[in-house]
Amino acid sequence: MESILKALALIADPYVLAVIAFSAAFGLFVGAMPGLTATMATALLVPITFFMPPVPALAAIVTASAMAIFAGDIPGALLRIPGTPASAAYTDEAYAMTRKGKAELALGAGVVFSAIGGIFGTIVLVAAAPLLAEVAIRFSSFEYFWLVCLGLTCAVFIAQSAPVKGMIALFLGLFVATIGLENPAGLPRFTFGTTDLMGGIEMIPAMVGMFAIAEVLRAMARTQAHLPPPQPVTGSIFRGQWGLLRRYPKQALRGSAIGTAIGALPGAGADIASWITYATSKRFSKEPEKFGTGHVEGIVESGAANNAAVSGAWIPALVFGIPGDSITAIVIGVLYLKNVIPGPLVFEKSPDIVTALFVIFFLANLIMIPFGWAAIKTFKHILRIPREMLMPIVLMFCIVGAFAITNSPFAVGVMLVFGLLGFLMEENGFPVAPVILGIVLGPMLEQSFVTSMIKSDGSFLAFFARPIAGALGAATILVWVAMAWRGFRRFRMGGAPAVSG
Amino acid sequence: MKVSDVISGALFLALAVFVFVYAQTLPPMPGQRYGAGAFPTLVALGLGGFSLLMIAQAWRRRAGARWVELADWARDGKTLGNFLLALALILVYVFFSERIGFIPLSIAILLILFWRQGIRLGTGAVVAVVATIAIQFAFSDMLRVPLPRGLLAGYLW
Repeated sequence: MESILKALALIADPYVLAVIAFSAAFGLFVGAMPGLTATMATALLVPITFFMPPVPALAAIVTASAMAIFAGDIPGALLRIPGTPASAAYTDEAYAMTRKGKAELALGAGVVFSAIGGIFGTIVLVAAAPLLAEVAIRFSSFEYFWLVCLGLTCAVFIAQSAPVKGMIALFLGLFVATIGLENPAGLPRFTFGTTDLMGGIEMIPAMVGMFAIAEVLRAMARTQAHLPPPQPVTGSIFRGQWGLLRRYPKQALRGSAIGTAIGALPGAGADIASWITYATSKRFSKEPEKFGTGHVEGIVESGAANNAAVSGAWIPALVFGIPGDSITAIVIGVLYLKNVIPGPLVFEKSPDIVTALFVIFFLANLIMIPFGWAAIKTFKHILRIPREMLMPIVLMFCIVGAFAITNSPFAVGVMLVFGLLGFLMEENGFPVAPVILGIVLGPMLEQSFVTSMIKSDGSFLAFFARPIAGALGAATILVWVAMAWRGFRRFRMGGAPAVSG
Repeated sequence: MKVSDVISGALFLALAVFVFVYAQTLPPMPGQRYGAGAFPTLVALGLGGFSLLMIAQAWRRRAGARWVELADWARDGKTLGNFLLALALILVYVFFSERIGFIPLSIAILLILFWRQGIRLGTGAVVAVVATIAIQFAFSDMLRVPLPRGLLAGYLW
């Protein structure tokens, strides 16, 4: 109780509230703008949060990412262009509703069920994270080694259509993490005598490069299509929502639950959650034939799911320091910078910050309703901002943001290299999120590996000697063997779908 | 630009070989068998292994596929120009920001990119100046980031 009061005091600060309001508007803008994603919103915010105390920094990221995921629904329904990948699953459905004159109902369902899903995910986060932490607190370097291995493996294999390329991207990130002095031996590695590389590759410029500069380069390499004028929204978006809730309570609950679970799995985030729940909604619907013709049921379920996933992704991020999606991968980097070390001890060492984080999650999902309403009403005007102007300004913002971390132009160079790398990788079907996961988790993996090897005097058997470590190790190896077997069979069958399928 | 998986795989394999060889030159920690080289060795093995796997998969499917395939944007002079220009302007910033300073360089970069995107000069100039001042204010004055002053060094507040 005391910690809740303390947390409320931390948040009631006018500075924090202003940060929340600004990030909400920013997240809505980025999410509603076709071509700018929620991950990009986070990447652009991080250089600014670098200068804030932990609570407002986290508030900015939580609010902006939740708002951006919802706001992706707006251009989906009104232009048939998903604002973020997480809305792609039901864009056609929402647009079909708009064509039938039910844009208000579709958008209202987007706002209301996004908020419901987000709050459901938050409740699970608040309830599950401390419980998991009590188990995790007994973990030693052996458990952590397996946990990181399992997390990284899932990250690559659950989500990716090209697992081999995902693994290559992951190892590339792990390699980048080894550059510099920061290793158990304290020896400079891969620095080639330059002082700039001694400190290692900073996560923030690398991430801004991969998630924002790559996007800018893609926009430059494309002739901007002119957007059609959006369908007008005239009526109240909240009319009929209560009826939807009474008619589809199971769908809302199922979407929220599946979304939270998928969010909590490493590697799978809001976009996968919405594809899967759109499918489950159709599968269990009494009227599956209506799907695709402008039927709201799927939007209720998957609209709740993608926002639930945003909250769910924080469970492994807080308890184990293992990100659930690319946004939380960025968050973990930010937490380390703020000296809030994610892991089971975070609940004892920084209880106020954790409680404040939970309160912010509730707050962000509640203010989504008025802010979302305002975004829908002003969407027509948001679209008036020419996108040709936006990308050069985003570029300038990235340059300054990368520079701000170390105050050296070298960071801008790092950003450029990673931006180009990210662009080329995506052009060739390599996912980029595993690179960032590798950079963020590399030091932890190395630390736990080397510590374990020293403790066990070089015996691999020690990695299985403790019960939980043994179980985690067995599970990890089982996943590896299953994947290898699947890959081998596909390879023998001619290999065609092995890389792309 | 699409490169055959055989080629990109070979590049990653080369990186893996380099990391492996480099890692062997790192001395072990005194009194321990595992030092700075152990983890990079492991990473090199993983990277190399998966690169080989990708090369093998791509090799079996290579029939008819080209080694390098230029995407549409790379064949069109305008989009290719925009792309290379953006890269070049970032490089200019890396090497000349200290000397020229943030404000003049940012206005110039924005103006050039706006012009290439087909925005009218007058509008572009106004937005370039306003955006630059806004970024300068946010980062330099509010966040206290020492943005390079360059040419404007005796004139700025």
